[in-house]
Amino acid sequence: MRAAHFCESCGKVQPPAPTDYFSYFGLPRKLNIDTAQLEREFYRLSRKLHPDLYARASEQEQEWSTERSSLLNDAYRTLRDPVARTEYLLKLEGVQLEEQSKAATDRARESGGEKKQVVPPELLEEVFELNMQLQELKLSKQMGEAADERVVRDLTAAKQGFEARLSGLDQRLQQTWAAWDERSGQRHEGDAESRKALEAMVEVLNTRSYIRNLVRDVNAALEA
Amino acid sequence: MAYSDKVIDHYNNPRNVGSLDKSSPEVGTGLVGAPECGDVMKLQIKVNRETQVIEEAKFKTFGCGSAIASSSLATEWVKGKTVDEALSIKNTDIVRELSLPPVKIHCSVLAEDAIRAAIRDWKTKQEQTASKPVETKA
Repeated sequence: MRAAHFCESCGKVQPPAPTDYFSYFGLPRKLNIDTAQLEREFYRLSRKLHPDLYARASEQEQEWSTERSSLLNDAYRTLRDPVARTEYLLKLEGVQLEEQSKAATDRARESGGEKKQVVPPELLEEVFELNMQLQELKLSKQMGEAADERVVRDLTAAKQGFEARLSGLDQRLQQTWAAWDERSGQRHEGDAESRKALEAMVEVLNTRSYIRNLVRDVNAALEA
Repeated sequence: MAYSDKVIDHYNNPRNVGSLDKSSPEVGTGLVGAPECGDVMKLQIKVNRETQVIEEAKFKTFGCGSAIASSSLATEWVKGKTVDEALSIKNTDIVRELSLPPVKIHCSVLAEDAIRAAIRDWKTKQEQTASKPVETKA
């Protein structure tokens, strides 16, 4: 199921066909991928599709090689990164990460029920408290006061904790990949196990985006 | 991206920033977040039990200008309303008032969520205190 980048008989570059990044690289829609193999394939295709090679070709071929090259770059950048790859798969499977909060609010409003928060309340509490601490540190620095040593110590410890959780979340993400990949080949429309795996991915990614922001903000505050 | 004048006004002069006593039976607290951007918003209301009117509202938001403006506006709007009136505030009202662009709609959603969560928390407290024997102050 490798995407046809070149004509089989004449070897000319082909117009970009609507395709997803996985099939662009001839890969099945699985999340555990051999990134070394992906990289090799990327370089091989980059060399063959490079617009410089088509400087003397027809205008049409030049255009196609440019389009395919840029698609190739997007596909590679997305697939080589574990988080971007997972987000991309979710998008392909119809899960809209950007819309989930609004969708949950709409559902709650329609049913008159309670909105299911997409982030665990304990995590929100923690994020809120940490942000309060960071703001305090920023304020005292603005006032020209030396940073409270205890605050700095607390934040440094918090940062280490978050980093550890980040790697824990990455491990959990890989477990969800395994659950998804296992169903590959026997997947059917509305497959419950696959749905569950996708939901688990969303949950990990949601938590991950908070923790990642915290690490970033704590770093910024400590360095400022 | 350009913010509207109203967003900038709320951002520069946020109304009702602060907190209320979380443990008070008259106070409802809503803490909500949007994983899309990592924002967190806390909105608190103080309600008169007799009249059901929201007498006081405070917020604290960590997020972008639109999230701060949305929650600032939300506190302005709920003040003086009864809890039932406050529940009818929709995120689209906030979008319209602040002229939020499509990419910032989730900020208004967050503000609506925060109002609902604060009211729910307050209602839960009322049910709990109603079932408990009334303590009389000496």
